[in-house]
Amino acid sequence: MTAPAAAVRPTLLDRLPRGARAVAWAGILLGLLAFFVALPPITVRSPVVPFLLGLLGIAAGIWALTRGVRRLGWSAIVLSILGIGLGYLATLSGEAKLSGVVVWSALLAAMLRFATPLTFAAIGGMFSERSGVVNIGLEGMMLMGAFFAILAADKLNSWPLGILAAIVAGGLTALIHAFVSIQLRADQIVSGTAINFLALGVTGYFFIDTYGDQGTPGSGIPRIPEVDLGFLGSVPRAGEFLEAVFGHLNLMIWLSFLTLIVAYVVMFKSPIGLRIRSVGEHPRAADTVGISVYLVRYLCVMVSGMLAALGGAYLSIGFLGSFNENMTAGRGFIALAALIFGNWRPLGAFGAALLFGFSSALAQRLPEYSTSGAVLFQALPYVLTLIAVAGVIGRSIPPAAIGRPYVKQ
Amino acid sequence: MPDETPVLEMRGITKRFPGIVANDAIDFDLRKGEVHALLGENGAGKSTLMNILYGLYTPDEGEILIRGERVVMHSPRDAIAQGIGMVHQHFMLIPVMTVAENVVLADEPRTGGVLLDYAEAEKRVGELAQRFKFAIDPHATIQSISVAQQQRVEILKALYREADILILDEPTAVLTPQEATELFDILRALIAEGLSVIFISHKLDEVLQISDRITTLRRGKHVETIPRAGATEESLATAMVGREVLLEVEKKPVEPGEALLRAEHLSVLDDRGLPAVRDVSFEVCAGEIVGIAGVDGNGQTELIDALTGLSRIESGRVFVGEDDCTGKTAREYLDEGVGHIPEDRQRRGLVLDFTLAENLALYAYRQPPVSRFGWLSPGRMVDRARGLLEKYDVRGGSPQTRASALSGGNQQKVVLAREVERDPKVLVAAQPTRGLDVGAIEFVHRRLVEERGEGRAILLVSFELEEILSLSDRILVIYEGRIVGEFPPTVTREELGVAMLGGTREAAA
Repeated sequence: MTAPAAAVRPTLLDRLPRGARAVAWAGILLGLLAFFVALPPITVRSPVVPFLLGLLGIAAGIWALTRGVRRLGWSAIVLSILGIGLGYLATLSGEAKLSGVVVWSALLAAMLRFATPLTFAAIGGMFSERSGVVNIGLEGMMLMGAFFAILAADKLNSWPLGILAAIVAGGLTALIHAFVSIQLRADQIVSGTAINFLALGVTGYFFIDTYGDQGTPGSGIPRIPEVDLGFLGSVPRAGEFLEAVFGHLNLMIWLSFLTLIVAYVVMFKSPIGLRIRSVGEHPRAADTVGISVYLVRYLCVMVSGMLAALGGAYLSIGFLGSFNENMTAGRGFIALAALIFGNWRPLGAFGAALLFGFSSALAQRLPEYSTSGAVLFQALPYVLTLIAVAGVIGRSIPPAAIGRPYVKQ
Repeated sequence: MPDETPVLEMRGITKRFPGIVANDAIDFDLRKGEVHALLGENGAGKSTLMNILYGLYTPDEGEILIRGERVVMHSPRDAIAQGIGMVHQHFMLIPVMTVAENVVLADEPRTGGVLLDYAEAEKRVGELAQRFKFAIDPHATIQSISVAQQQRVEILKALYREADILILDEPTAVLTPQEATELFDILRALIAEGLSVIFISHKLDEVLQISDRITTLRRGKHVETIPRAGATEESLATAMVGREVLLEVEKKPVEPGEALLRAEHLSVLDDRGLPAVRDVSFEVCAGEIVGIAGVDGNGQTELIDALTGLSRIESGRVFVGEDDCTGKTAREYLDEGVGHIPEDRQRRGLVLDFTLAENLALYAYRQPPVSRFGWLSPGRMVDRARGLLEKYDVRGGSPQTRASALSGGNQQKVVLAREVERDPKVLVAAQPTRGLDVGAIEFVHRRLVEERGEGRAILLVSFELEEILSLSDRILVIYEGRIVGEFPPTVTREELGVAMLGGTREAAA
């Protein structure tokens, strides 16, 4: 027997796609470019350009497809066709109208605003699901966070206490889910759904009870401040753009970036993460090396509730400064979709949250053209998720033991 | 030579589960530097005893002493701290993670006390692997390495935690004979390093090959602890089963009748669309057992599927009796009188979540007495099942018991009952004794010989040479989808072995 060759860690360069995969990626980029050139600031007016770029993208996709790169190849083809269509539509539109809608700095800032609650909840969901517990109750945990954040901030007149209240509320709500699904081994989907209805009822009741018909007072509630980075404006050339995007972001948005990095390090670079993942993949194996499966799962589910609640707190006392019934409006579910779309990885989930945030930001501006079209555009996240789940663009592989209660021997 | 100080003593261990005493006052000890085999049939209490030792179960009575000191094990963590390592029968490895990650899990090297030091983990695991001459890349994922290598990773896990008592639960069940020999070499190397090994098995020849002492359990009770010297396969089998066991099958001389199953130039594709069975012709006559010998993956599965209507026949014909059955469905094959004991009884032989009564009625459900005028009668189904369970000596369950609750041997008896009860002309038995213990193997073998006496044509497909040699009247060897030779049952193992690796292909062609 020979000694094993020293393990060679892949460098960044090794990870870059090669051959047919590279061509497929080029096709994807061409497809995106086909749309992009028709938008400000380039604003090509001739439909020929997006057509040409798109056709090149389709060709690259087909080429890759014939060489066995199926998913990326199909992605290139689909995106190129979309790019042609959207690019063509953009060339039809009036130039003034177009530059009114497509203001990149505003769009990007809005994208970050929309993405932040999703990011928090999706990262929370990652902890729960990586440990093997499906958390469809993210929505409810988020809603609890949103309400108790504003209640505490209002009554105690302090936004940090509001955040704290959200964390506690989210954690406790998650504890119910943990108890029911880990201890009682109930169906995790049912438990999560019950959490969502419970949260809807609890927040609805206390909301009416506390604020009545008037709703939350429009002003006077302490809000999470924005982080003013005015100095960005003095950066040469790109200053104005940078300031418009990053200059006045809410503290919670920056916190979400921090959470993202911490979550990545914890999950993939620390012993804790290895143990969490082992519990989600093969709980019995984790048990036999002395890891407490129940403890890990409890903690992970509670962390997921706390993070989802932070997303809720951002909605109520960060973004809007008010609360209304069911204000999360399905964002918990979209966060779950982002998690799946992002293959249960923090950066993937963040990317998906940005994508969903961008489509929301765009949908917000589209009524300029067509009200119904804008509504339709808001369905994009769901369509993308369906595509991701169906495995067209790279299959999402969930943790192996997800959704299965662990029975200790 | 092993010295006499026990590194481990278990005294009077008793463990009760609802309705069963899994371990009844069992004594067991392990001396330093020995391999102590723990022998017993499935359900004899071997795994329970070892799970108690590994802290997975708490004993109801009894005590454990390690190096002379009394210890109480609450969890595997305690057992690991006492220097006990266990290689479970079903590996406790995470397929998507790397070898290094699996080995260091829960005892990870760190940088700065916070982050996992992957480089250090891979280095340590690599060094450990090298010390015991395991050719394992610490950076490879578990799912990308062979089963034998995965087993070595399990051993590495124990060694990494500095175990000096190693428990191996049925370690050879998943290995080829060649790999098993390699495992024994590894075990000897571990003994040389000062470890002591508990080797759980129900395979008699292996136990005699590797162990210094042998402890036999039967139905939760300690039967005997004896040194290897003087033990024979027969004596061990008797201790294990509690009565004399016929390791050899007695059968009358063959009196073949008319051909009941006939394959003519049969070719079948596998599920990737590649040829798996190539131009195979043979016949099986009434009253004979034809054995198909071969190494796993040489087209046996596809051949069986084709002969039972479960897969499409690419070319050639299959006759059952006089009828051309080519292209017929699985049910039509059943109706023609083909009984099928499938390779994987848990996946294809039984619906594990169904009760025994339901499993026994999987074919008979359309006929009286189980159903009348298209309506199922659960009452009569249960009555019928009760009779069959008795007739085929199925233990450990009533008609309402789920199939998953039975031991492997009893599950196989249920399959046999269902298939034989239809009075088939042809019985296709694929790996009928895989994973069964001695007693159950004996039952299945005797039953197959009885069915041969009933005038059925029996096709036996098996990877176990002993089984083929002791049961068959004629032996066909399959290699790369072709029948490469036909032998009488008097053929030697060596001749068969050569043919199974394609040796006589030219001669046969």
